Amino acid sequence: MDKKTRDILITNFLAILLGLILSGIMVLFLKKNPLQVFGILFSSMFRDGYTIGEIFVKATPLIFTALAFAFTFKANLFNIGAQGQFYIGSITAVTVSLLIPSPFAIPLAIIFSFLISGIWAGFIGFFKSKFKANEFLISMMSTYVALNFMNYLLRTTLMENKGEYPQTESLVKSTWLFKIVPHTRLHFGFILAVVAAIIVWLILYRTTLGFRIRAVGQNQEAARMSGVNPERIYILAFFISGGLAGLAGVTEVNGVQHMLLQGFNPSIGALGIGIAILANAHPIGIIFASILFGALHVGGTIMGQLSGVPSSIINLMEGFVMVFVIISYFVRKRWEQNREKKLLKEGI
Amino acid sequence: MDTPFFELKNISKYFAKVIANKDVSLSVDKGEVLALLGENGAGKSTCMKILYGLYHADEGEIFKEGKRITIKSPKEAMRYKISMIQQHFSLVSAHTVTENIILGNVKGRINWIDEERKIQKLTDQYGFDVDARKKIKDLTVGEQQKVEILKALYLDANLLIMDEPTAVLTPQEIDTLMEFVKDYSRRGNAVIFITHKLKEVMNVASRIIVMRSGIIHGNVLKEKTNEVELSRMMIEHKIEELEKVKDNNYVKDVCLSVKGLTIKQKKGIPLLKNISFDIHKGEIFGIAGVSGNGQQELCMAICGALKQAEGSINLDDTDITNLSIKKRIELGMGYVPSDRHRYGMIMDMSLSENVLLKTSYSSEWKKNGLIDRKKLKDKTNQIIKKFNVKAPGHYSLARELSGGNQQKVIVGREVEFCGEFIIFDQPTRGLDLGAINNVHSAILKEKQNNKAIMLVSTELSEIFTLSDRVAIFYKGEIQGIFKTSELNSEKIGLLMAGYKHQEAI
Repeated sequence: MDKKTRDILITNFLAILLGLILSGIMVLFLKKNPLQVFGILFSSMFRDGYTIGEIFVKATPLIFTALAFAFTFKANLFNIGAQGQFYIGSITAVTVSLLIPSPFAIPLAIIFSFLISGIWAGFIGFFKSKFKANEFLISMMSTYVALNFMNYLLRTTLMENKGEYPQTESLVKSTWLFKIVPHTRLHFGFILAVVAAIIVWLILYRTTLGFRIRAVGQNQEAARMSGVNPERIYILAFFISGGLAGLAGVTEVNGVQHMLLQGFNPSIGALGIGIAILANAHPIGIIFASILFGALHVGGTIMGQLSGVPSSIINLMEGFVMVFVIISYFVRKRWEQNREKKLLKEGI
Repeated sequence: MDTPFFELKNISKYFAKVIANKDVSLSVDKGEVLALLGENGAGKSTCMKILYGLYHADEGEIFKEGKRITIKSPKEAMRYKISMIQQHFSLVSAHTVTENIILGNVKGRINWIDEERKIQKLTDQYGFDVDARKKIKDLTVGEQQKVEILKALYLDANLLIMDEPTAVLTPQEIDTLMEFVKDYSRRGNAVIFITHKLKEVMNVASRIIVMRSGIIHGNVLKEKTNEVELSRMMIEHKIEELEKVKDNNYVKDVCLSVKGLTIKQKKGIPLLKNISFDIHKGEIFGIAGVSGNGQQELCMAICGALKQAEGSINLDDTDITNLSIKKRIELGMGYVPSDRHRYGMIMDMSLSENVLLKTSYSSEWKKNGLIDRKKLKDKTNQIIKKFNVKAPGHYSLARELSGGNQQKVIVGREVEFCGEFIIFDQPTRGLDLGAINNVHSAILKEKQNNKAIMLVSTELSEIFTLSDRVAIFYKGEIQGIFKTSELNSEKIGLLMAGYKHQEAI
């Protein structure tokens, strides 16, 4: 095992542990025994088939948003706007499925959600390459534009016929993503997510395009001197990244909710960033990291019901873990720098 | 001996990848102008940034008048009356001269009339012609520099560090600056003047320290030296007269032709002025000169990374003046850059991936839409073998190799994939002897293969052994193009120092 992998394992383990300890302290304030509460958390995750299936249901959109962040991250770009791209994908998926109430809607929803949220995100890359705009800020702000656009549509064109709530009509059953395990909510979207992760891995590590994206990410000047146009790579990386986040819209609309409603999955974009960093932006690692977070989420919800501890403690825990995971990234960088410095000193 | 005004003792500074300073000791006295001379990247600026508190030394100590001091930030440096003028000015362009000068040094209510009077007094004292109420963005570069100097004077600095102060100035402005430096030091202050220009050093300095690769290579009084000696110290300790083993016959077909190439900066002096030359097939064309005289820009312009203002470049019969880097690579142009970490390699990628870098658009590597990994592996192993690269295999990361072996991989890649014309920019800088021999024989082999080669080097011995003809660069202009047999190290040294051909004889 090389030193880098070792660092990743150590720091991630510590990050999760610290997150647990801190939220354990929070549990203490509620005058409950944290060990007992965490015991319920972990045992409840695996209590029956339905709950286990639920873990993968929750993991599915996280895989997509994490892949979205990871893809631009490989080009040394930051796509903080996966949440907004997810909304654009959701709008597209629900529109396609409402217009074409037949199984054909599913492939079309997949294609159009990818394309339209890809183009949406592609603009971020375009602004960066054309005007040297900061992609971090634009992608972040674009989330609010997408959110308000969705809310606007939910009160106008897409609003249910009754006109009571800001939500769409339910989708007809033929446009739902089919279940892959009976008696659970686990649907085809999970397979789609795993396939997407494998394709992303193939693109990044087995094609010349992916090679160029990584080359720009690691040494933009060397890539430029080798004939690569980094500006074009920005646009392309953001297009693919946005498309991936958009696919989460299909799995959530056609797979879980079977409609679009206000306040839809508001935190999968942010969780995706943390998951991608937890997995060191490796597409296959992202699958497992997403399942971990799915499990925490599902276990936390049940824990809230059983132990009398409010389930928001699990959000707190997720938050703590996320913060430590992100800090661990900088810790690793520091360690590596110190190692290099030491090598240099010894080398003289 | 008296205690020096400021003294650095055994300063070492390591960056993540390079040694910037190693065991640097120097001192400066009151009333002295100390020139810190060296090529780009020799460690001059780093050393001074340590004194100014911008960097922290990994080893070593600083003394003021014999007392040990620690300087953790520019603010502390100012407390010890040290001021530094950076290469890139640190001025707020939307603010006035006065606002800039008092920035960070006033508290509470500002008495503008008082401050302006104070500044006026300083400008009169040194004969500066700067309007204190003007905004920085309305000033010329030379005037902006005066504001920087005024900032130091306002703080009552006794040691003024100037980093390449003349790089952006016109000749007249340089004269005024030199006058100021002399005047200021006469008043009992010390100046450290960082530069790589020999003439300036001889004009203004009282003592000269020469740096090379982060190490001090000479400490001389101005009266006891001359430009030729300094240029030798800067480049290498001793130029050995080398026997030339080669034939001067090359085919007369022109391969690369540069005509009237000019590159301008946004403001100020041009980087390259009216450069014209031809390189023939099978010819090695040497570019000599102290580094920082336009060689880097020339390479960048030829390979397409820098847009030229005027002039044209032809490769074979194709006008490549406006072609992209990618197109130029496809036409058979190779480039071994001087800064391989920055332009040549991706350190965290494998050797295979680094071999792929230059030809990633070629269909050669594609199989079913994916990279033909077997072919790439074989090619990389072939380069490793052919160029004697010491590496565990094609999968090793570039950063795991020594500098010499990294360079062999780059040379191998360029030689294997580029058919017509190759630029070698400082191909042996920082390499050990074995690697130097490897690179040299690769260059000569390409000559035999009838490729045109442009060799940029500050190592004169390298230029003399390899090139058929030599062009000498000085301040972005060609001092002359000579057959190598017409030159000797004496003459080339003078040409590099800025003397014209007639003076050199």
